[in-house]
Formats: sequence, C-alpha cells, structure tokens
Amino acid sequence: MGSGRFHGPLEQLSECVWRIPKSYKEGMRVDGLIFADENLIEQIRNDQAPEQVANVAFLPGIQYASLAMPDIHWGYGFCIGGVCATDPEEGGVISPGGVGYDINCGVRLMRSNLFIDEVRPHLGQLMDTLFANVPAGVGQGGKYHFNRKELRQLMGQGVPYLKRRELATDGDIAHTEARGCLPGADPDAVSDRALDRGAKQCGTLGSGNHFLEVQMVDRIFDPQAARAMGLEEGMVCVMVHSGSRGLGYQVCDDALRQLRHVPRKYGIELPDRQLVCAPVLSDEGKRYLGAMRAAANFAWCNRQLLMWQARESFAQVFGRSWRDMQMNLVYDVAHNIAKFEEHEVAGIRKRVWVHRKGATRAFPPHHPEVPEVYRAIGQPVLIPGDMGRASWVLVGQEGSMSQSFGTACHGAGRVLSRKAAVKLAQGRRIDQELADRGVLARARSWRGLAEEQPDAYKDVDLVVEVVDRAHLAKKVARMRPIGVVKG
Amino acid sequence: MFRTFDHTADVGIEAEADSREELFAEMARALFSLIVERPEAIEPLRQVTVELPPDDDDYLLFDWLNELLFRFDTDRLVFGRFEVRLDESGLHGTVAGEPLDPARHQLGHEVKAITYHELRLWEENGRWKARVIVDI
Repeated sequence: MGSGRFHGPLEQLSECVWRIPKSYKEGMRVDGLIFADENLIEQIRNDQAPEQVANVAFLPGIQYASLAMPDIHWGYGFCIGGVCATDPEEGGVISPGGVGYDINCGVRLMRSNLFIDEVRPHLGQLMDTLFANVPAGVGQGGKYHFNRKELRQLMGQGVPYLKRRELATDGDIAHTEARGCLPGADPDAVSDRALDRGAKQCGTLGSGNHFLEVQMVDRIFDPQAARAMGLEEGMVCVMVHSGSRGLGYQVCDDALRQLRHVPRKYGIELPDRQLVCAPVLSDEGKRYLGAMRAAANFAWCNRQLLMWQARESFAQVFGRSWRDMQMNLVYDVAHNIAKFEEHEVAGIRKRVWVHRKGATRAFPPHHPEVPEVYRAIGQPVLIPGDMGRASWVLVGQEGSMSQSFGTACHGAGRVLSRKAAVKLAQGRRIDQELADRGVLARARSWRGLAEEQPDAYKDVDLVVEVVDRAHLAKKVARMRPIGVVKG
Repeated sequence: MFRTFDHTADVGIEAEADSREELFAEMARALFSLIVERPEAIEPLRQVTVELPPDDDDYLLFDWLNELLFRFDTDRLVFGRFEVRLDESGLHGTVAGEPLDPARHQLGHEVKAITYHELRLWEENGRWKARVIVDI
C-alpha cells in the first residue's frame, strides 16, 4: 500500500452512496460505504483513502459497514472522515487509531448580538487583541496553570470543573456535547508524560488546521432552526477549532505502544499496524477507554478556555461585558472521538462503540441526547471550511440514524498536501490575498498560512451539499470568515 | 541523507545510511528539519542521553523519534547532533542541542506524533533505509 490512485471496486448504490463490497479483500467483515457525489468520488479515488475504508472493515465486531463521509482523505490506519461501530458483545474492539491522536478535536460556535456593521470598523483592533490574548502556535503554553491534582480533577469532571473555577457557566455546559464531560474518565490511566505535555496547554489553540475565527452569518437556509440557535444574517460569531493538545497526543501514543502486541494476543489479524486495537471488554481496552475519556474532557475544557479568552478580548475592544453582548455558546461538537451509543442494527437495538475519526455526531430531532432547546430541530452540527470561503451550521436528520450511526461530515477535507500547498504559495502573500477577500488573518508563521490556504481544501459547500442530500444533516446557516487567528 | 515526502494531511520522512546507527541519527535530523526551519543553526550547547529498551528495529526507530519529540515538547529543547549506539540492551543515544529561542529558531510544523502507518526499516544492497509518516 502507498500513495497513488485507488483501483478497487466502487459501486454506486444511490445518488450519494458508493460501496466497496466485502468480497474486495479477504478478511473484510462488512462492506465499505462512502458518501459522495460523482464529482467528489473522483477526487476520493485519487488516493488510498478507499483502501483504508476497506481495511477498517477487518476490525472484529464491526457492525453494518465501514463508513466514510464525503470529506474523507487519506490518513494513517483509518482514513480521516471514517466512522465505524463495534459491538462489545460480539468481540468488538476499540481502536485508538479510530479516534486519532487529537482526542476530541472539535468545534464550537459562539453567537453575539453584534452585527457586521458595528464590528467591521474595529476588526483590525479586535484581531490584534485576539491574537495577543489567545495563545497559538507550536507547543505554545497559555495563561491557565493547573497542577497535577487540578489537572486530574479537570479530566475527571470536564467543563463543570471549570464552572467551579468561574470559567464556565451553566449555559456553556448545557450547549456542549455530552455536557462537556464523558463519565467513566480515568485520570489515573493518563501517564505522567501526558500530564507533562498537557500541563500548560489547556486554553491554547495549537497549530496546523486549528483556528479561532470571527465569522458573520452569511445566509440562513432554515429560519426556524436558526432562530432556535439565535442566529441572524449579518450577526458576528466566533468559531473555535482545537482539541486535546499535547495531552491527547500522548494518551493516544501511550495506548498505541501498550497495544503493540495485543492483537497477536487475541488472535486479531490486521492489514495496517496503525489499526492496532483491543477488545472493548479486555483490560487493555478498558484502560484506553478510561484515558481516552479523560483526554476528551481535557479537550472540552480547552475549547471552553479558548472561548473564554475570546469573550474577554471582545469585552476589551468593545468596552462591554460579554454577557451584555450576549456571547452565548451555540454548541460544541467533537469530531475525533469514540462514544458508547444506542443504535439499531439490522432491526435490533443495541449499544455500540461508535468511532468517529474526523466525523461529527448528527443526532436528529427528539433524540434524548440533544439539548432541550434544540430538541425540536435536531443537534447542531458545526462544519469548519477553509479560511477564505465558508463554514457551515447544520442540524442532524433522521437519515443519520439509519445510514451512518448518527454521523455527518467534519470539514472540507484536504486536496493538496502540505508541501504542495507551500509550493503553490511561493512568492505570494496569503494574508494579503485574504484581506482582499475581506478576511483579516493573524498567524504565527507564513508556512502555517501557506499550508492552510483556501486552495488546499475541497470546497466545503460541495461536501455539505452531499450530507444534506443524503439526509444526514440539514443546512441551517452558511458562515463567512472575517477574521482568522492561526498558529 | 534524508528527505521529506508528501502525505495528504501529514508529512513523511525517509532516510538512508551506511549503518543502522547512522540511519537512526539521520531520521532524527529529518524530524527536526520539520520542527525548525533552519536546523543547521541549532547550537550543541546542551547534551542529553536517551536510553531505550530493545525491540524490533522498526519499533525501536519509532521509540527513538518519539522520545526526541517528547523532549522537544516538554523541555522545549531543539536538537541538531545525534549519536546512536545499538546493542542487545537496546538503544543508547547522545544528543546535543539547545533551548528553543524564538528569536533564532523559526518553528516549522507542530509534529503531533510519529505514526506506525507505513513505518519501515530495511537493508538494501548494503544500505540501511527507513521511512515513517508523522502526524501534523
């Protein structure tokens, strides 16, 4: 296996669904299914991501199919944009690679009562203030310090811990997936190495594709759902994309090392070492799950603190309190995570471990895990695009439960490698080009901007279109960036 | 001799050398060429030793790169010189570098982790070669 085009079978089942039959490779336990339209599938064929979809189908206890969203691209082990559910009662496994290094990488959206006309004249000052206040960049530490005991409490309790420290409100908790805390977290399963890497990083953005953006609501597609979220055209919002920082990377790394020889122990044959896994019900599996949940709670606290610093920055610039500007959290979703959820598989309701590796939960209206205020419209699904074009707000639809274990896409998906993007940016001022498009960018490095330039990504509008047409999630609002903070 | 190569969202590094020991050192140079823009400007002011227990060659290479990444991430040290000895008791490394100084070292990528995906170490016509993909 390596780079190059995928030459295996991709059969079109319907307008937006393509199948890799399980007969493709000996060892596949279920089919692979990819959500895409005819244009996107051509791009998807260009690398080995479909091969990875097939490889995930080898995992013991996998249910229904190895799934991939329209933004899939080539990862390591799992493709980015992959979804797989396993049943512990059928020997189902948990795979750290199916969650990823950045455990609970995710997105949150905060609204305000400010509109573009009031913000535009102060945008330069606002972006300078955000850039000064929000720590970003490689390995950058932040202003919040937690000692080991406090870190363990934070990982055990999630965002409610920050509420006790007066860094979060009840409203913030209510509008965060899983209320900002996965129960069953085992902070003692998190190594000292991971604590060392994470100690100074709670409340920092990191680099790569992580960002903090000031956005405006560009267009509303579903007025009822937009009203429930408090969104109106022209309104200024803040979107945050980050995860569990060095702590999460180390938890994943520790687990991959601990599980190195575990598949052999349980007689599990895998086509790629990065798919290493353990039965959910084994000691090794339980240990990883305890640590993974702790890292997930750390990530929710990280995004909470990033949002908190954004609120402080707005207050500084506009001379009003954030409460006065009604800077309320709309929602926060994880897109690198494994969750134990109830789903119907072949007519039987069962509890399964849903791995979402670059995929977003998209529960439909009336699902009990959707917050009360959104019960009638469905769970908000936040899809960051590239920094020049758009991001999206959607709501989960019934089709996600029957087709994708309650899941939709997570972003635009890269089309250019980082090296290719840098090459394309030679001799250009990406920040100037963005400014010409009405986006003020503040970044630590030219390379960061070059690698993340809009042309490095698929058009997020096309990805969202497929998710909408396949009834996984419905379009509510298109968001346009006006200011970007990058590492 | 090392080079970096493309992998859609991430980056790969590969190297070759006359011996396994030199290969390990070369791969470490490749790693730090991703982390800082001009690794040749790193001064060998501080010396650090790395001791790792034995494992298969490829896993040992993984552990070596991983350990260097960990030292960078926690102690904020960047390294430019690497000496490696391999024997039955594992890997014995001596590395030299200095504390990260943003005024002199322009940071490149945030390397989140070394991955096992396509991790390979092999001998070919008397030359030792390896490749690995890192998560950015």
